Amino acid sequence: MGKTIAVAILSAVVGAGLALALMRSAGTPASSRSARTADGKPDFNGVWQAINEAHWDLQAHEARAGMVTQPGVYPSYEFARVPAAPVLALGAAAGVPGSIGVVEGDGQIPYTPAAAAMKKENGENWIDRDPELKCYLPGIPRAMYMPYPFQIVQSTNKIQMAYTFANAARTIHFDKVEGPPDDTYMGHSVGRWEGDTLVVNVTSFNGKNWFDRAGNFHSAALKLVERYTPITADAIRYEVTIEDPEVFTRSWKISMPLYRRLEPHAQLVEYPCIEFAEEFLYGHVRKQPLVRRWEGETMIVDITRKVPPGDKFHDWYRR
Amino acid sequence: MKGRLLVVIVVVALVAAVAGVVKLTGGAATQRAASAGPAPRTAWGDPDLQGIWTDPYQTPLQRPAQFANKESFSDDERAALDSQRAAIPRRDQRVERGSERDVAGAYNAVFQSVRPTGKRTSLIVDPPDGRLPPLTPEATTRNAAEREYRLALLQPTETCKKKDAACAGGKYGSVSARRNEIPPFYNTGRTNRNDGPEDRSMAERCMGAVLPDFGGYRRIVQAPGSVSIFYDTGQGQGWQRVIPVDGSPHLPSSVTQRFGDSRGRWDGDTLVVDVTNFSPKFSYQAARENLHLVERFRRVDANTIEYSATIEDSTTWTRPWTVKQELLRQDEQANRIYYEPRCHEGNYGLPTMLLGTRIEERAFAKGEGPDPATKDTATDFGNEGGADALTGAAGAIF
Repeated sequence: MGKTIAVAILSAVVGAGLALALMRSAGTPASSRSARTADGKPDFNGVWQAINEAHWDLQAHEARAGMVTQPGVYPSYEFARVPAAPVLALGAAAGVPGSIGVVEGDGQIPYTPAAAAMKKENGENWIDRDPELKCYLPGIPRAMYMPYPFQIVQSTNKIQMAYTFANAARTIHFDKVEGPPDDTYMGHSVGRWEGDTLVVNVTSFNGKNWFDRAGNFHSAALKLVERYTPITADAIRYEVTIEDPEVFTRSWKISMPLYRRLEPHAQLVEYPCIEFAEEFLYGHVRKQPLVRRWEGETMIVDITRKVPPGDKFHDWYRR
Repeated sequence: MKGRLLVVIVVVALVAAVAGVVKLTGGAATQRAASAGPAPRTAWGDPDLQGIWTDPYQTPLQRPAQFANKESFSDDERAALDSQRAAIPRRDQRVERGSERDVAGAYNAVFQSVRPTGKRTSLIVDPPDGRLPPLTPEATTRNAAEREYRLALLQPTETCKKKDAACAGGKYGSVSARRNEIPPFYNTGRTNRNDGPEDRSMAERCMGAVLPDFGGYRRIVQAPGSVSIFYDTGQGQGWQRVIPVDGSPHLPSSVTQRFGDSRGRWDGDTLVVDVTNFSPKFSYQAARENLHLVERFRRVDANTIEYSATIEDSTTWTRPWTVKQELLRQDEQANRIYYEPRCHEGNYGLPTMLLGTRIEERAFAKGEGPDPATKDTATDFGNEGGADALTGAAGAIF
């Protein structure tokens, strides 16, 4: 009996040692992969990313032919729209993937009637209005599910979140701290632990952000409660309760997993979009415009797609 | 070279100005109140560098000539310098309305505030004379080509007519044909031309922050295997950096970044950070993609981090040089750093400068105004009212 226990213990120790050795050999330091921090909290350190379509539209939606579309040959059928000039040259790479959505319950965002009209208008004027296209700070929660990785640096009294897009960042304060001197794009985040769930209250928004590329929006009265709960060491359940009496008739909730980027040496690589957006923002005040046509402040997008010589598809049709 | 230096001066001056304002609300008080204790460690045993830190003193990057053989000031000398410097009016000369330089009083005396004199006579500690090492012949040629182009564009302005220092090496004359040339370098400074955003400085385009940063506030947050630093610098041009401290290798050399690629390691209690992979689109002093930094952060007591940066680029300087400064801990609550960099979101200045020139061009074409090429939009006129011993100029630091 004693012998059996000894063997069992021995094999357990060897097994654990082997498992540890395997973990270390995977190329990621064991420190960033352990499930708990030194102070016993779930360990969220590392590079994370949402893998969903929420950045296109929080709500369930069909795939679309283009990021920007226009009426096709059936102008009265919304479902028959075709890609519009700004993205036409990008073919099938410029579509929008469909999604089951991340809004909990009936999947609807409870807009007031006026706000619902504004959301519709926003969607129709996406290029003119979405702050993402201008490389403005993305705000919370949008920064959490944009199609770029972000990094969590988790300490005892502070958690720093660094986002790829626009080099945005926020600090989650666990210790006493005064609010910001002005309303903000990224919000003021105050955290606490409820068991293994990190709960973050986010306030002090300036109301200039959107939730997604579909025109879903909020006002400066936005208040968020974020909940981060470990699913495994490499996945977090991310839930946000959204309250904004100026825009919504009641509070509502989004929920999605965040996934750890498991590549060895995963890290953020700069996406310096201020520079990327300069032509979009300031092209009309250049001496010699670089795009085909600016008419005053309006960009007229002409697209030329030339058939490359020897293109088999077009050659077949030319026979 | 001068153009690039000017950019640095402008950015640093802005930082200094903002810092000066913040300081009034708590920085100085914090330094007195908190007594230095031993350097703390994190819950997981690393030296603890966390908190909000800044160098609250005004120390020029290079040692001014009058302090050539002096490495540090005594307390009496600091007090004397401070009272001398306090007497400088620091009046923004652009306050005069209706002039070409008028900025509608946007920068008043409060904005021009400066920091108190520190112990060091220069941030540079090596070479021992506190001066930048000589440039390589290659960098000298590079800088001369840039300077020549900038002076050609400045040629028809009042600045050159009046033989202002900003036109040193140039001459006054008609509008140069070089104005229609593509610059023989990738521009990061203020050019006397407003054809597009690329003619303006990185600071005016809200991309003015650089690494290394000696002027701003920084918030450090640590975890096992990574150190995060958020820099509050350059008037809303702050930026976020996460340093891996996990033995991982640098990015492939084909991937360059504005702030380079940082890799940290602990050398005893010192965090040593190696930074490479800088982008050719940004410049620090006269260096670009070949810049290599070795930074050291060591918390010497509860309130102080000793920071040093060894700066190397064999295509630019004939030898590496080192800057050292003491970063003092700032109160978390009283000292609310401006942690949201939103220069870009409110950048009305850049399109307005471009639009203004388009309007002037149209007026000139109709014979209703001067040729915009004759107006100086490159020189930072700053303020007037007497030279500062620590700056060689009025107001601006470094």
